[in-house]
Amino acid sequence: MSIIIISSDVREIEEMIAGKVAEEKGYGRLDRRIINDVAARHQVEPGRLIEALETTPSLFRKLSSRQWRYYLSCIEADVLERLLADNLVCWGLAAHLYVTDISHAMKIRVLAGKSSGLAKIAEERGISLQRAETYRDDEMARRKKWSLAAFNQDETDLSRYDLVISLDQIDPVETVRTITGASEYRKFQVMTYSMKCLTDLALAAKVHAVLLKSMADVKVQARDGSVVVSTRASTRQKRKKTETIKALAGQVDGVGYVEVHVKKNFLKETA
Amino acid sequence: MPIITISRGSSSMGKAVAEKVAARLGYRLISREVLLDASSRFNVSEMKLEKAIHDAPGILERYRHSKQSYVAYIRSALMERIVDDNVVYHGLAGHLLLKGIPHVLKVRINADMERRIKIVMERDGIPAEEARLRIQEDDKQRRKWTHSLYDQDPWDSSLYDLSICIDKLSVDNAVEFICQAAETDGFQATERNRNKAADMAIACRVKAALVDDFPHVGVTCEYGNVLIYVRAKDSVAGKLTKKLNQIRETTDGIHHLETHAGVELPPDAV
Repeated sequence: MSIIIISSDVREIEEMIAGKVAEEKGYGRLDRRIINDVAARHQVEPGRLIEALETTPSLFRKLSSRQWRYYLSCIEADVLERLLADNLVCWGLAAHLYVTDISHAMKIRVLAGKSSGLAKIAEERGISLQRAETYRDDEMARRKKWSLAAFNQDETDLSRYDLVISLDQIDPVETVRTITGASEYRKFQVMTYSMKCLTDLALAAKVHAVLLKSMADVKVQARDGSVVVSTRASTRQKRKKTETIKALAGQVDGVGYVEVHVKKNFLKETA
Repeated sequence: MPIITISRGSSSMGKAVAEKVAARLGYRLISREVLLDASSRFNVSEMKLEKAIHDAPGILERYRHSKQSYVAYIRSALMERIVDDNVVYHGLAGHLLLKGIPHVLKVRINADMERRIKIVMERDGIPAEEARLRIQEDDKQRRKWTHSLYDQDPWDSSLYDLSICIDKLSVDNAVEFICQAAETDGFQATERNRNKAADMAIACRVKAALVDDFPHVGVTCEYGNVLIYVRAKDSVAGKLTKKLNQIRETTDGIHHLETHAGVELPPDAV
């Protein structure tokens, strides 16, 4: 009974390892196949959601920072809600960056490794090993930038994961065996408290997505149905914004009480 | 059987993990012995060697190259110790010093900052804030050291085969993972891997003998054939010829020795 979140520096490897772990454990799979459902639920284009997972805001792609954050919040809210079902292997949805402080969620990073990973890239793209290395370094730098911008977390940071395995010399079969074995440990089993933390996280994400649809710069925390929203507004807008937030958040299922903390927006104040 | 290096931040339970792994697999456990070997063989105080492998080089040291010499001594001493494999090394920078040997299982142990602070507080009897500053300073030194000597970040995940967070996982869990990984085919000491380690040990010995006078020297070795890469201006020095003759006479395992001047260092040169 646990959640296994797998990420990798190479998408194909992530899919391969996660798929095998799910099969071995008999767990459900939570991956990008849910994107169409998420898009339908939030009435957005599925392509835009995928784009938000892959890129940072850009004028060329006509993706504003506000839209980007909203799309990501839609995915986050949906993934967290689905994770409440437990016994899942999740990948490809950046869950390793926003599922935080949940003891029964085991986070694994699988690295393609210098030799095998580079050979794979070189073969797929028909380029030399040297160019493949440059390509991979650039890609890693891009993902690091993306993860910091999207969730203020560095996805290359080792300490974010319970276990990081490099496939350079440890083969995929051994990797799957290690992951499935680790998931049996007592520390990764569901407890009442860890489930409560996940429920709170899912509720906060749901409220966050609802608010980001019509406003920017909001942070949400939830505890036992009580929601605290922090935002910024000028003195003139403070009251109106508080009321809007209370009305929107109050409509979300599971929210019992809403508290809004507004900080002064000095930029708008001086303007 | 493989060589296991266990790297960690200070107070991250790495020593406890290393001891248990060595006991379980029946391997030799080494750490400080390497500094003692290097100290007696190269006649440098242990304190200087320890400082060289712990603290980042200062501005003057960058010009004097003393740190490069000390690191070359330590690397050579470490290579001599591990060449017979079945070893767990938990001293500093093992994953970098043993780079290039295929059957080295490189492990990183990470621990949550709060847990590390608690360990330092209990061990040294100091308040939490002082413990935090001490750990942060130590981490900073490690980062600077690795950057200045190897141009890499110690927290770079690609440097390790296995990285374990001792937070939700226990020391025993980590031991289990490491022992399991050590049994996989990729880390077995095949004849080829052993030869490679022996060649590396020769290259390190030659480098240690030359580095004082020629700090920019690079050495490779394949089946006892040693290639020495020096700067063009160093190759004309009589000192080099004299040194090389001395090395030929005193270093075991060298079949052939060749000098390449003014050529770019190959990536596998020590």
